[in-house]
Amino acid sequence: MSTTMHKKTTAAPRYRAPAPLGGRRNPAIGQRRKNIQALAFLVPALLVLGTFTAWPMISALRLSFTDASGFGKEKWVGFENYARIFTDPVILNAVLNTALYALLFTPMAVALALVLALLLNDPRLPFRGFFRTALFLPFIISLAVAAIAWSYLIDPQVGLLNYWLGNAGIRIGNVLQDPVLAMPAVAFVAVWKSFGFYMVIFLAGLQEIPGSLYEAAKVDGAGPFMRFRHVTMPMLSNTTAFVLIFALIAALQAFDQIYVMTGGGPYGHTETVVMQIYKSGFQKLDVGFASALSYVLLAATLLLSVVQFVFFGKREREGD
Amino acid sequence: MKRSLTFLTVVAAASLALTSCSGGGASGESKDGAKAELTFWHGYTEADGKVLNKIVDDFNASQNEVSIKVQTNPWSVIDDTLLPALSSGKGPDIVAMPAERLPVYADKGAFVQLDDFYKNPSSNLDKLIPAAADMETVNGHKYGVPSGFVPLAMFYNKSLFAKAGITTPPTTWDEWIAAAKKLTVDENNDGTPEQYGLGLPDHATVANGVWPSLFYGNGGNVVKDGKAVVDSPENAQTLKTWVDAIRNDKISPAGLDGIAGDKLFSSGKAAMYLGGPWMSSIATENKIDYGIAAVPAGPKDQAASAIGISMGITTQKDEAKAAAAQKFFTYFLQKEQATAWSLGSGWPPLRSDIPASDVAANPVVEALTKQSEFGRPLLPGVVNSTDVLTAVDKLTQRAVAGENIQDLLKETQASVQKIVDAK
Repeated sequence: MSTTMHKKTTAAPRYRAPAPLGGRRNPAIGQRRKNIQALAFLVPALLVLGTFTAWPMISALRLSFTDASGFGKEKWVGFENYARIFTDPVILNAVLNTALYALLFTPMAVALALVLALLLNDPRLPFRGFFRTALFLPFIISLAVAAIAWSYLIDPQVGLLNYWLGNAGIRIGNVLQDPVLAMPAVAFVAVWKSFGFYMVIFLAGLQEIPGSLYEAAKVDGAGPFMRFRHVTMPMLSNTTAFVLIFALIAALQAFDQIYVMTGGGPYGHTETVVMQIYKSGFQKLDVGFASALSYVLLAATLLLSVVQFVFFGKREREGD
Repeated sequence: MKRSLTFLTVVAAASLALTSCSGGGASGESKDGAKAELTFWHGYTEADGKVLNKIVDDFNASQNEVSIKVQTNPWSVIDDTLLPALSSGKGPDIVAMPAERLPVYADKGAFVQLDDFYKNPSSNLDKLIPAAADMETVNGHKYGVPSGFVPLAMFYNKSLFAKAGITTPPTTWDEWIAAAKKLTVDENNDGTPEQYGLGLPDHATVANGVWPSLFYGNGGNVVKDGKAVVDSPENAQTLKTWVDAIRNDKISPAGLDGIAGDKLFSSGKAAMYLGGPWMSSIATENKIDYGIAAVPAGPKDQAASAIGISMGITTQKDEAKAAAAQKFFTYFLQKEQATAWSLGSGWPPLRSDIPASDVAANPVVEALTKQSEFGRPLLPGVVNSTDVLTAVDKLTQRAVAGENIQDLLKETQASVQKIVDAK
């Protein structure tokens, strides 16, 4: 950029080198045009991002140091909101719940996605296209719809799943009202809902592995397990890391589906951090505190992203 | 996934926009002589909405100083959009909301204080049922006008009663539990009844008024004069009685919430249920032959938590608009409009001088009006009442799930006191 600027002011009186064959006159002017063009294309996106992402983020940071209610007066309270986050048992409960949810959701979703991707990548499997579509389908359904449908399926009074299991002699009772089972239940529905997405990413990763590697492994006498262990897994490690961190971030921000299914109940056992942000902001009109909580969640998410970048960076330097 | 977070930050940004411009704008829209244009948000979406809108239209036609424009949305949508709307300065001038939501907004300064309006002899407010007026008091001041006030009532399934040979609805707790046991049927003896005597939700009911009603019946309470009074021998007794009935006699499913409870009664699987006027339309839709009775009297008292809707005037607009809104409230509470509103909405009259006989045209309203005297506003003036009720919700859920009642009461006492003190 700086060289472009420099040339702009001093280039005119000087000797201008003849245009290279093929016709570009001054490479600097071309570059500047390109930059302006690029900028013009970027402006709408930057405006939207600035208005709806950057500006709210800056405002929320400011609000997180106040006792703002969303209207009327507000008072600067310093780090009081942040201190409250780390001392309020309700918030700590939500943090623990979110951690538990992430612990249940992430490995389940990633493992299921990987296993199914391996299966669906096998050319010997008939109707691969159909299965791929069918397994991806839940991801397209709206979260709220999926949540409501599952709530009905496992409803103790009218639930079809309870009815079938009951006929088989298994009683699961009122799962969503059970303090122990509620969280696994909502995590299970989330896995069902989203593993298709991770599966597609794994499939893409699998298809990038050159077939020659497998041929070579076969020649060396590696069986299916050895081929998986020494060819597939290392070649997939970037994809796996991406999927893991993506799933983890999704788990940290769990809200809609749990809100619809349990509303945070029974008595707070499925309450997550984002649910607390929503409650503080919209129900208690404690926007300052909600902003502080958002920032703590943002910090946690950023930390995970940094871990991801470092991991990717390291692998790329090692040159795969 | 990310949406909620982004949404919140958008709201946060909007509030910033408000604070930075609230000094300049928002004044002089209704100068003297010009017509004051008001917007009114409410969530009456059924037949009640039609009646309310007609009252507004009549009011608009009755004079030429004020014109009110109505915007209808479900209550939950109003609750979700009011904060962003107020933040951006585009909120309504009048808004109706569940009464338990009013104190939070009032405490944060969202509503015009109405003490002078209440003192004004021509405001019609002196005719209000006193308990309904109590509902509007926050930090010692009035911040709203009720548009609805109704004690929880007992709805019972007449055909299930007839099948069990019960001729009259129970009037005391003993009769109530005895009837519930009789009405609970476990045909295949698998421990899960096919028909329950009572639908007694242990959490997430409308306004969470079911258990407070039971506490009142035995002389207990939740918050009194700004002090938590959850941990009392009376409440322990109440919990024990009803938890026993649910857990051991299985008169009601455990872990029931309000929506599931509505379903249970409307599908004919529960013989008795506590609810408000909306239950009669739900029951009618599902062809349940129902009767309405008062919540049976407890050992000490007969009382029922009242569900209410409050209307507040938002502070964002100028004084002329506040005065215009008060004009509408006065009109709304005139005897003629109040009677029409009650008949149309299915809620009992808000004025104590409208007897049950005046609303006999609607038998549901007539039945509910007779019970108005038992109605008690739910935690009036407790700013964080929703948090208190959540704590009570937690208490009843865990008690019904079988945890130690004494420990639970002690724990809830501490957390409720903390919530009350926080304000």
